[in-house]
Order: sequence, then C-alpha cells, then structure tokens
Amino acid sequence: MIKEILDSPIATWVDERTHAIRYVRYHLLDYPTPKNLNYWYAFGSIAIVILAIQILTGLFLAMSYKPSALLTGGGFTEAFDSIERIMRSVNYGWLIRYLHAVGASAFFFVIYLHMARSIYYGSYKKPREFLWIMGVAIFFLMQAAVFFGYLLPWGQMSFWGATVITNIFGATPIIGHWLQEFVRGGFSVGDPTLNRFYVFHFLAPLMLVVAVLWHIMALHVTHSNNPTGVTLKKKHIIPFHPYYTVKDLFGIALFFTLFFYFVFYNPTGYGFILEPDNFNPANPLKTPPDISPLWYLTPWYEILRLLPSKLGGIAILNIAFILLFLLPWLDRSPVRSARYRPRFKMMVLLLFSSILVLGYCGHHGVSPMLTWIGRGAGIIYFCFFLVLPFVHKFEPTVTLPDGEA
Amino acid sequence: MFITPKQQLYSKYALAAALIFIWPTMQVHADEIALKPVKITMDRNTLQKGLAVYTDICMGCHSMRYVSYRDLMEYPELHISRTKADALRGENALTAPLKSPLSEEDAKVSYGIVPPDMSVLAKARVGGGAYIYSIITGFAHDPSGRIPDGNYNLYFPGHRIAMNDPLGWLDHDPGDEKALLEQARDVASFLTFISDPHQIERHNIGKYVMGFMVIITILLWLLNREVWRDVKHGLPDAQFQGRERRDSDIDNDQRE
Repeated sequence: MIKEILDSPIATWVDERTHAIRYVRYHLLDYPTPKNLNYWYAFGSIAIVILAIQILTGLFLAMSYKPSALLTGGGFTEAFDSIERIMRSVNYGWLIRYLHAVGASAFFFVIYLHMARSIYYGSYKKPREFLWIMGVAIFFLMQAAVFFGYLLPWGQMSFWGATVITNIFGATPIIGHWLQEFVRGGFSVGDPTLNRFYVFHFLAPLMLVVAVLWHIMALHVTHSNNPTGVTLKKKHIIPFHPYYTVKDLFGIALFFTLFFYFVFYNPTGYGFILEPDNFNPANPLKTPPDISPLWYLTPWYEILRLLPSKLGGIAILNIAFILLFLLPWLDRSPVRSARYRPRFKMMVLLLFSSILVLGYCGHHGVSPMLTWIGRGAGIIYFCFFLVLPFVHKFEPTVTLPDGEA
Repeated sequence: MFITPKQQLYSKYALAAALIFIWPTMQVHADEIALKPVKITMDRNTLQKGLAVYTDICMGCHSMRYVSYRDLMEYPELHISRTKADALRGENALTAPLKSPLSEEDAKVSYGIVPPDMSVLAKARVGGGAYIYSIITGFAHDPSGRIPDGNYNLYFPGHRIAMNDPLGWLDHDPGDEKALLEQARDVASFLTFISDPHQIERHNIGKYVMGFMVIITILLWLLNREVWRDVKHGLPDAQFQGRERRDSDIDNDQRE
C-alpha cells in the first residue's frame, strides 16, 4: 500500500516540486542498514517516540499550567495549585501529566541504554564522531530540559533542587555572581526564576528537535554501525523498510508496554519518577533533610559532590562531560566493537557499573561511607578515559569478520 | 567466536569486581524506621467511613484546599448524598473547599505550626497511607521522659510531633484496639484516595491499555518474525589469535 501511495500521481506531483517523496524513500524505506543489528539498536527509534510524546503532552500541560510563585494561602502557590487542578479537574489532566512525568524518566532510561550501546559497540568512532557529538549534545539538552521542568510544580524538591544547582553557577570564577543572579532573575529562587525556567523549559524541546534532526542527518550520511563494528560488505546490507520499520515497531511496542504499566499503575515509580517531597509546596524557610535530584541526574550530582570544594566539584563535572565529548579521539584502537576487544570490554563494564554506583551514592544523603564509595566510583569513571588511549596496545590481535572488500 | 580461556577469565574478573563494588552500597540504608503494614482499600464503604473520621476528627485542624463538598458527591468511589454534603458543609458553598474552622493564626498559637493540608498528604510522605496509619496509631510514652505524652510518636521523624493523639491511641483500652485500628485504616484509605482521586479510574483504563499493548506487541513480534524469515543471519566469526598485540597488527585490522 505504501508503494501505491508513493507512486500515485499526487505524490509524483509533490515530489517533482519538493523532493519530499524521495526523502521518504531514501531515509525511511530504502535506507541501507546492516542486517545484524540487535534490539539494542531499537532505542533510537523509541527515544524519538518519547520525544514526540513529551512535546505533545507538554503542549497540553502548558494550556492549564500557570508559572507563578504568587502565594495563594497556606504556603501554596498558583503554580502548585494549577498542577493540582490539572490532576483533579482538567479532563484526563492526570493522564497527560503522568505521561509527561513518566516520559521524562523513560527518555533518560532509553538514552542511557542508547549511549551504552554506542560505547560498547564503538559507534562513536571514525567516521561517526559528529554523530556522537550531537548525541552528547542531545543528552545535555535533555538534562537542561528536566532541570528547568522540575522547578515548575514548585514543590519542595523543585525549589531546593533549583537553589542547589543555581548556587553552583555562583561558584564559577569571576562571572559567578552575575551568572547566578541572571539565571535566578534575583538574589534567590523566586517568581522570576519560575517564569524564566518555564520559558527555558519550553525552549528546550525546540532545540532538542533541531539537535535530533542533525543527529539523524549525521547518521544517514555515515550509516549505522553494527555489533561487529566492521564496515559490512554489500551483501550484508538490507533496506530499512520493512525489516527495521517492523523490528523497531516491535521494540517500541514492547517498551511502551512497560511504559504504560508505570503510567497507569505506578506513576510515582516508588518515588523515583515523582518524589514524595515534591508534593509538599515549596517552603523557602525549611530545607529538606536530603536534597537529591531524580535518578537520571544522580551520577552527575555525585561527581559534583566528590570534592569538598564547590569550585572543585564544578571543575570535575565539566571535565567529566568534556571527556564524553572527546571519546572518539581518546579511543585510538582501529577495532570498534568491544566484542573483539576483551580489555576494552572489561573497562566498559567497569565504567557502566561506576556510573550506577555514582548514581546510587548521589541518590542517598551524604554519609562518610557513601562519600568514599562514591569517590572510588568517580576514580574508576575518570580512569576509564585516562586508560582508553593506551588500552589498544594491550589487546589481543584479531582477524575481524567479513568486512568491506 | 573464539576467546582464549584467559580472556574469558578476565571478563569474569571484571563482572565480579563490578558486583563486589556495588554490594557495599546496598548495605548502607538499613536503619530507617519500618512503618506499620496496612491494607489500603478503596471500596465505597471504607472511603465513606474514612471521610467520617476525617470530618469528625482531622478536620478540626487540617484543611483540604483541593477538595470541595461537591467533589465528595461527584467522585464515583465516594459518592456521598446531597443531604450528607449539605450536613457537612453547613453555611459553606457546595463548591467550597473542605476548610478547617481553626485559623492559621490560632493554630500557630496552639501548636506552634500550621497543620499541613491533607489534599495531597498521602503522596507527600514516604509510605503514603501506611505512614498516616502508623502516625495516628504510633503515640507512646517517651522512654526518656523528655517529650510530653501526646507529643511522642514512634514513627514521626525525631519523634516529637505537634499533633495531639487524634484517636486517643495512647493508653487505650485493649478492648478498643480493634475499633481504633479500623478507624485509622479507614482514614488512611480515604486520604490515600483523595490524594489522587482518579486512581481507580486510572487502574480501570490501564487494564484496557495493557491488554491492547500486550496484543499489539505479540502481533508485531509475529510480523517481525515473518518479515525477517528471508534474511540469512550471521556473519563469519572473528578469530582471536591469542597473542599480545604488536604494532604491525594495527594495519591488518584497519579494514576501512
């Protein structure tokens, strides 16, 4: 049926004037794909669907949400009230909000697996450096989006999370004070902060869409890597449709079964998706005992807390992120996939577990033991990047599978 | 794929190292106070009894700014009659929120703080309904004798609570225990319900959504299998030569 539609006179007429149909053909139907991609490769498509859901639900939430920290009595604010109005009075407002909240966690879950896949199979390496860089940029834009978005309900965690993070801006040398006041729109987090965070939160998806398009453009020039990491011969290349349209649709359906379980049966996700303390209205006079971000930001939050000084924390967090960008140039092995690099495979598994441990430590309050465990994990994280340029010298030799002739 | 036993061993070391590394982090937070277990039910009988406990006792101090008398009539799970709503609201409008007669100023004088609003309280506390249940049946005598009776609570963080034993739990007659626990359970159920009043509706819709998703996932899996039937899987395996890398090997590996 797709064939008939694309061959129809109307489609031909449009195509002669816009090339739209040949874009569809090239990028969705005939797009050449390795035949040996496994299910790890479905997370890109899943992420795009989640982005679409976030944008749509976000638009509908914006119709009922009021970004105002004006008090309405009893410590409650217009922002908090409007969220509760969405939850109680707006038709299916609860569904839209839970989709959006669970969607944020799902987005990060999927993107972390997508990145892990990319690191494991060496998909960041030449010629896909730009693809990787745009991917990391998308990851940062997502972090910005959730950070701004999390302030909007104006609960305790919203307020104190924003206070902690904007304090960190204040530790930047020289321009710190100016930067902090600019981000907050005042001397402390307040109504102006909420208004500008709302604008930034609305801006984030616009930038995300551009970044994602660029990411896909880069992918469609260099084409997908595959689990062997080898550039495959023509006989191993198959068209995207119907093979990967169907395979990805299956992956999407499977993932969204899990997703809808959380939306309908466990929308707070045991406090990992919506924190209990954020159902208390923001109280600038009462600091919560534990301030921690949601699970997807905790590894980076822990890195921020590794060193006892604020400036030191910012410095190593920046280094941690810059190292991610530099990954394609730090890894000097000609072999891509960890399948054929036993030493690298070991390092990658250690890297992934160190990020999990960092996340665990960042999620919990400060205690001497957790601080030291966190530091251990932090050292492993940085050691990965330190050792990476040299590890190829110690790998066993390998004859790679059926590559390009 | 051929991997030497030595390399296999290394991979196992890596996994073991990762596990040993994660294990101590699991041991850190075992000292939190365990709440009393309670079965939260949302049938109309329980919720209406819970509402009665709320309006008779809790509402003396606690308000619900997001719940109106009309809501109590309109939520199908609760569904109180117009007569009952009229009796509860007195002079208040039907659309007015359930507001406590105790003003914030008076509360500050009597208790030192403004009692928290109850609309989303069950969602705002770790443990939800079990937390509320544990608190109102958690009054005890302070073993050190520092906190006066009625302000010492086993489950409240720091044990000093401003709320004065609402159900009369402290030194209750053992014969009343069953009735008190039931009251506590009813009001905990009601507060859990009212913190997210569309949750029953959500679960009901969820059944259809999950059913649909499972069916479409199975269908897509079958379709996927059918579509991929003609693709020959598998590439020739890589061969490890089982010796350390020499610089001259790099050129051999470069296949691009």
